[in-house]
Amino acid sequence: MGAPVQSLASKTPKRAAQMQSSVNEKRHRRHLLGNKLSRFYFLFSILALCFVLGLVVVFIGKTALLLFAHVSPAEFFLSFNWTPEEDAFGAAAFIVNTLSLTALTLLIAVPVSVGMAVLCAEIAPKWLKSFIRPVLDLLVGIPSIVYGYLGLTVLLPFLRRVSGEGLGDGLLAAALVLALMVLPTICRISDDAIIAVPRKYRDAAYALGSTRLQVIMRVVLPAAKRGIISAIILGMTRAVGETMAVVMVIGNTPQLAKTLFTPSSVLTSNIVMQISNVEFDSSWNYALHMMAFLLLLISFVLIFVIRVLGRKRGDA
Amino acid sequence: MTGFTRTRYTARAQRRNKIATIGFYTLGALVMLLIFWLLFTILSKGLPALRPDFLIKQPEEIDPGGGIGPVLFNSFYILFISLLISIPIGVGAGIYMAEYAPDNRFTGALRICVESLSSVPSIVFGMLGLAIFAEYFNIGLTILGGGVSLALLNLPMLARVTEEAVRAVPGDIREAGYALGMTKFHVIRKVVLPVAMSAIVTGICLVAGRAFGESAVIILTAGLSTSGEMWDFNLFSPGETLAVHLWYVQSEAIVEDARQIADKSAAVLVFVVLLINFIFRFPLWLGNRRKGR
Amino acid sequence: MKVFKKLTVTALTAVIAVTASFAGIAAAADSLKGKITVNGSTALLPLTLQAAKEFQKLHPKVKIAASGKGSVTGPQAVKKGIADIGACDWDASIDVPGFKAFDGQVANKVAVIPFATIVNKNVGVDNLTTEQLAGIFSGKITNWKDVGGSDANIVVITRSFGSGTRVNYQAKALGGGDIVKKEKNYKETGSSGDMKTAVATTPNSIGYIDLVYVTGSDIKAVKFNGVAATTDNVINGSYKIWAYGYYMTKGQPTGATKEFIEYVQSKKFQNGSLKKLKFIPIAAMKG
Repeated sequence: MGAPVQSLASKTPKRAAQMQSSVNEKRHRRHLLGNKLSRFYFLFSILALCFVLGLVVVFIGKTALLLFAHVSPAEFFLSFNWTPEEDAFGAAAFIVNTLSLTALTLLIAVPVSVGMAVLCAEIAPKWLKSFIRPVLDLLVGIPSIVYGYLGLTVLLPFLRRVSGEGLGDGLLAAALVLALMVLPTICRISDDAIIAVPRKYRDAAYALGSTRLQVIMRVVLPAAKRGIISAIILGMTRAVGETMAVVMVIGNTPQLAKTLFTPSSVLTSNIVMQISNVEFDSSWNYALHMMAFLLLLISFVLIFVIRVLGRKRGDA
Repeated sequence: MTGFTRTRYTARAQRRNKIATIGFYTLGALVMLLIFWLLFTILSKGLPALRPDFLIKQPEEIDPGGGIGPVLFNSFYILFISLLISIPIGVGAGIYMAEYAPDNRFTGALRICVESLSSVPSIVFGMLGLAIFAEYFNIGLTILGGGVSLALLNLPMLARVTEEAVRAVPGDIREAGYALGMTKFHVIRKVVLPVAMSAIVTGICLVAGRAFGESAVIILTAGLSTSGEMWDFNLFSPGETLAVHLWYVQSEAIVEDARQIADKSAAVLVFVVLLINFIFRFPLWLGNRRKGR
Repeated sequence: MKVFKKLTVTALTAVIAVTASFAGIAAAADSLKGKITVNGSTALLPLTLQAAKEFQKLHPKVKIAASGKGSVTGPQAVKKGIADIGACDWDASIDVPGFKAFDGQVANKVAVIPFATIVNKNVGVDNLTTEQLAGIFSGKITNWKDVGGSDANIVVITRSFGSGTRVNYQAKALGGGDIVKKEKNYKETGSSGDMKTAVATTPNSIGYIDLVYVTGSDIKAVKFNGVAATTDNVINGSYKIWAYGYYMTKGQPTGATKEFIEYVQSKKFQNGSLKKLKFIPIAAMKG
């Protein structure tokens, strides 16, 4: 196409109109072909994605299901006794810990990151926005082992002093590190979602005499809800699946976290700690794969619940 | 909202508004302080001791003074390969989900599946890559294996971010395009993508940053060693990356200055991610400026 | 439009690149005869990497790829055929507690690895006996005052089950005793570096590690049954916590793999780089 590159949306209709008026049969046919080809390409992409999805599920599932030939599902899901060297494969403690860690992380991270997103998108002056955003993105780039190391050398001694515990490892330390790690993910995506709310909604609300807080709480956030929920979900999945940082501050002890400072273990940290030290064709290895599979299931369920909750509140 | 007179209701709303504004700023200031403290801790340990030759020298096992030359190169190389594969497919899949897929239960389920996929710990992708490349294709630990496995890890996140970005484009712009008789693809290319581009690039930056710092996948698929040469473009060489090297010096290296090397590597890692963000976004920012947005 | 073109171009390049490289695998396999993959114990990794570096200088056509994740990964990778050499901290061709023997594999001794019991610098104790250690790690002794220290809870830091260091430490230092998890003051770490950092930053903690890593002022090695943890005491036989490091191979090694193992076992490497890495040459133990 010889037309000058113009990517501004508002000018496109004008150009399209010109194109339409200069009836150009060839160009039209080419567009139709492009339309068809692109459809195939997008279809191909989604199929490739599904293929990867299937690959992962089959890869994990195939090995995972072998577990139940040796261990009863009831034991795996309900027993709190994880002593694989003595053939006790109860994963209940990890499951409960994973859920509580995720909840604790979101409890800390969501208010902070959505607040930051609102600040970025609605309140801060322009120069401040263009300062905060890149700084937040920097957080993403810090590798998780560095977070883990800082957690181990800075956060743990601090928690030890505050709580008087001997160790400091546990859910609270892990949740604090994770909250910091998911902060940029939740914040940046919510930020984009809030910006995408059409200007006219705000104008209408302001015209009615609303204060900025009212506009944010009653107009902007509800309108951007879909995007914010996606942001939370993406942040949550990262928290559920994060490993390298968690293993350094959670204590890695297979037991139920009764307090915030009980050294414990979650599904991911247990997989990472043990998978390199087990034999390929042992129940232990199958159990670890089952835990990875379970992780998929747990996040599937969590996401489903969040989506349903989000939809209901939207209707009300 | 009863008019222009100042009622008790509006006074209260305004007071709350002020308090909230102060609250938001305080929150912002605290978070910024925390981030800067964090960056300061990382960079202040590493950057002052950083000399240019650290970036090109070979790693050492016995003598202090080793560099990160080949591992830094491998980091970029593997990141490049993984993005080369994951961006076209991820963005394509995201566009399909937002624009083409019928809005039914199946699509919804697929979306949740894709999202759950990003909670699979990266080590599982590493094991998958190991099974595919080392066992099935029998090529051992290679840069190619690392790059492709990393691409698999990036795909779901990329697809979801793109989908959200495309969905956030207001429908009326699209309808204007259709009303003018544009084909669907034409509308996507000329109307939707330009508007969504900023958010898509944000997503790519997030993914690239995460991929650059990823270690578990690479340890299993590309190994912990390099071919010992600088500028080795061979896809079948072992490809230790900077993040993996950081893990190694932090966990197992015996070399005396392991701690300093770790600090310096961490600083370089963070710095590179800053650079990636800058390179990806600068054209976008320029473009926006030209358009006077 | 520009962006889309770019996308299409990159997509095409990607497809071409991937197909080309897969097509190339069959051809590449023949020319890569001199490729050695080493996997397994991370404790032996510094040694392997150094040896690989020197070996590749001597034989530029041989490519060595090394990785490490855990001791048992070594013999397993060899069994599966995804590695030529499996580095392992114990002799995987015979049964050890917790792990069955890998049939048909040959254990090639490459180094002697000494281990040390370490404590945080604030701990006043400087000697522990086998019984005391067994009591501490099994959770029966929980206070430093019971082993001659001040009144403070003992924080036990250990490696996860299956770690080569743990297997050897349990066998040699605890007299085969168990390491039992506790509800409090107990933590597992995933690597030697983590172990060192954890003990260094946690007051009243005790752990164990390869002697090589015992540096700096935040941790100190305690005597074992009255004998200090030094390489000299290992060689003269008075310090008992040490083990051989092995390169496991499928059957007797051949070709480039054999050459490489022989290089690692050679006098030049054993008395040169290996000593500098603070491992002990295998020849030293025969006396």
